[in-house]
Amino acid sequence: MSDRINRLNRRDTLRWLGAGGTAAAATMALAACSSGNNSSGNGSGNFPTTPSWRFVFVNHVTTNSFFIPTRQGLADAAKLLGIPTPQWTGDENGNVANMASAFDSAIDGGADGIAIALTDSNAFIDPTKRALSKGIPVIAYNAAAPNNFPLAYVGQDLYQSGLLMGQRIAGQVTSGTILVGIAQPGANNLQPRLDGLTAALKQNAPGVTVKPINTGAQQAAELNALTAAFSGQPDAAGLYAVDAGSTAACANLITSKGLQGKIHGGGFDTLPDTIKGIQAGALDFTIDQSAYMQGFLTTLHLYLYRLSGTLLKPPQTDTGLTFVTKENVTPYVAASAYEGGSSHNLIQMPGSIPLPPPSMVTI
Amino acid sequence: MSDPVETRPAGPDWAKIGDALWRGLVRQKELSILLVTVAVAIYFISSNGRFASSENYHTIAQYFTPWAIVAAGEVMLLICGEIDLSAGFVFTLAPFILTTFADNGVPLFLALVLALLVCAVIGTVNGLVTTRFNIPSFIVTLGMYFLIEGVSLLMSNGAPVSAPSSGWVVEVFGHQRWSELIWVVVMVVIMQIVLTATRFGIYTQAVGGNPVAAAESGIRTKAVKVVNFAICSTLAGFGGILDGMRTGSFDPTNGGATTMFLAVAAAVIGGTALLGGSGTVVGALIGAVLLGIVFDGFNIQGTSANAFDVVLGIAILVAMLLNVYLTVLRKRVSR
Repeated sequence: MSDRINRLNRRDTLRWLGAGGTAAAATMALAACSSGNNSSGNGSGNFPTTPSWRFVFVNHVTTNSFFIPTRQGLADAAKLLGIPTPQWTGDENGNVANMASAFDSAIDGGADGIAIALTDSNAFIDPTKRALSKGIPVIAYNAAAPNNFPLAYVGQDLYQSGLLMGQRIAGQVTSGTILVGIAQPGANNLQPRLDGLTAALKQNAPGVTVKPINTGAQQAAELNALTAAFSGQPDAAGLYAVDAGSTAACANLITSKGLQGKIHGGGFDTLPDTIKGIQAGALDFTIDQSAYMQGFLTTLHLYLYRLSGTLLKPPQTDTGLTFVTKENVTPYVAASAYEGGSSHNLIQMPGSIPLPPPSMVTI
Repeated sequence: MSDPVETRPAGPDWAKIGDALWRGLVRQKELSILLVTVAVAIYFISSNGRFASSENYHTIAQYFTPWAIVAAGEVMLLICGEIDLSAGFVFTLAPFILTTFADNGVPLFLALVLALLVCAVIGTVNGLVTTRFNIPSFIVTLGMYFLIEGVSLLMSNGAPVSAPSSGWVVEVFGHQRWSELIWVVVMVVIMQIVLTATRFGIYTQAVGGNPVAAAESGIRTKAVKVVNFAICSTLAGFGGILDGMRTGSFDPTNGGATTMFLAVAAAVIGGTALLGGSGTVVGALIGAVLLGIVFDGFNIQGTSANAFDVVLGIAILVAMLLNVYLTVLRKRVSR
């Protein structure tokens, strides 16, 4: 009996070793694929040769199409600077605990810089402190939070963007109810816009009632939520939204019900449906916060901060507040890498540049 | 089986002793998954020098503790042939129940106990509907899944709230470093003892393994199931509170379907049969540790989000295959 078992053992052991070896080889091959382009830095322009700095972006919706230009931007910046493409990680569904763990993994893994979307006011304070104490620079991008300690914020001034949107709405709607879609009420990256919008309307068009609609984070469900809300309020004077998906849903709703010109509409970001809505006149405007810049400039900031041993401290960077309307929508239609497409072709400059909002510097 | 060849010399037979040891070890249900987990850990330790640090072990613990505590309850249910899809959202909801009590002036510890009681009631409802009306628990808890998701969105207004940040309750239940892990390990040990060393545990296995025989021999199968549903929801709620206290934020995005599926994956990877009858809570814990190591390890390796799911999926499949293979080996050896 023992011989039989021994024989079995030998055979099984060999087979098990074989299976284990195959699995290990497969895992290593995968790891090799996933951690590719680990080329050592060559030094770009006047800059010295640097180690292959590994930057990590922690995101709340890693697979969301809004961030495709951000990922393009960080990859473009890395290529320009001769460093590996930063890692893009976090959670697919905004799970804050998972994001915090990914943040911690980056610290433990010895990342050279971390960019974090501060979608929660508490969960990222400890990891940020821990990273800084280990000499890892931390920059917030896309969403900021009070009482945390990132070196800088690269993104839109969210309250200000809502305020300006409210002022613009006040120029068009002076009475009645407007519906405003928001994917996640209370979220740090959305709620400030709604607050700014409400405040601006209260001041500039007190006759307007703002009715927030909780549309949820799934893009398909956002249209359903807005459609239902509009059915309940068919006399609404405007259909607006403060997030990318809900804005696209506004455009779709107005187009599908043939309401162009009968109802005002507008919102944020430049998803394809939103741009189509602008072209078709369904939406009066959408606000571009330049997702590309949030990836590109954050990477550049982290690089310069390391390169200069903290001399070049990352500046607070407002990535902008461009009102996209029928007049200036043309460049957005080209599938450029800066807006979610894949083309890096040179884009034709327009003959004239529309006046931006007046500068607000006090002298 | 007879052994025709017996030609070995007398004296200490090392080969025999080795055999006995090997067979004893291999008989342990959890051994195969433990071997796989150790192998994966060794791979990450050898491929990245940063993996082996106490801080990183803490990060790994952060990943797997929610899955392990939800899995501890799911194992009990899976063993008696049921499943609870709503556990992930009970995990989400429990912190908001606690806040509601605490905001109304209930002392924090009492609020925690009351929140867990509410979770137990949710589980009991799951169990009663399943057993009284003979509806598959997959359907019952699917309904409860959406109901609880909706309730937690309503209670939180879709927004995160700060967790309580001071007091001994906060420190003991999650905020103190490693406290979440200690609680989860304690819960797993308790559930493993309940499963293997108490009459209730034996009943649970009997109900899943052979429901008719169990009922014929006088086991109140429905009651056993209802209690297990209550246990599962309570553990999930407790996990949610611990996790919220640790991160300092009660967030409606925590928990949910992903946590529930990873917990079920941990249970199944750990050797629990999806169709009932057998399983181990410790195995589920090791399964969760394996998943945590894989999550953390690939993050440290620098795998980006889109490739991550592919890598994770393959890793789970390979781990599962190795586990099944080792289980077959175990059965053959211990025959």
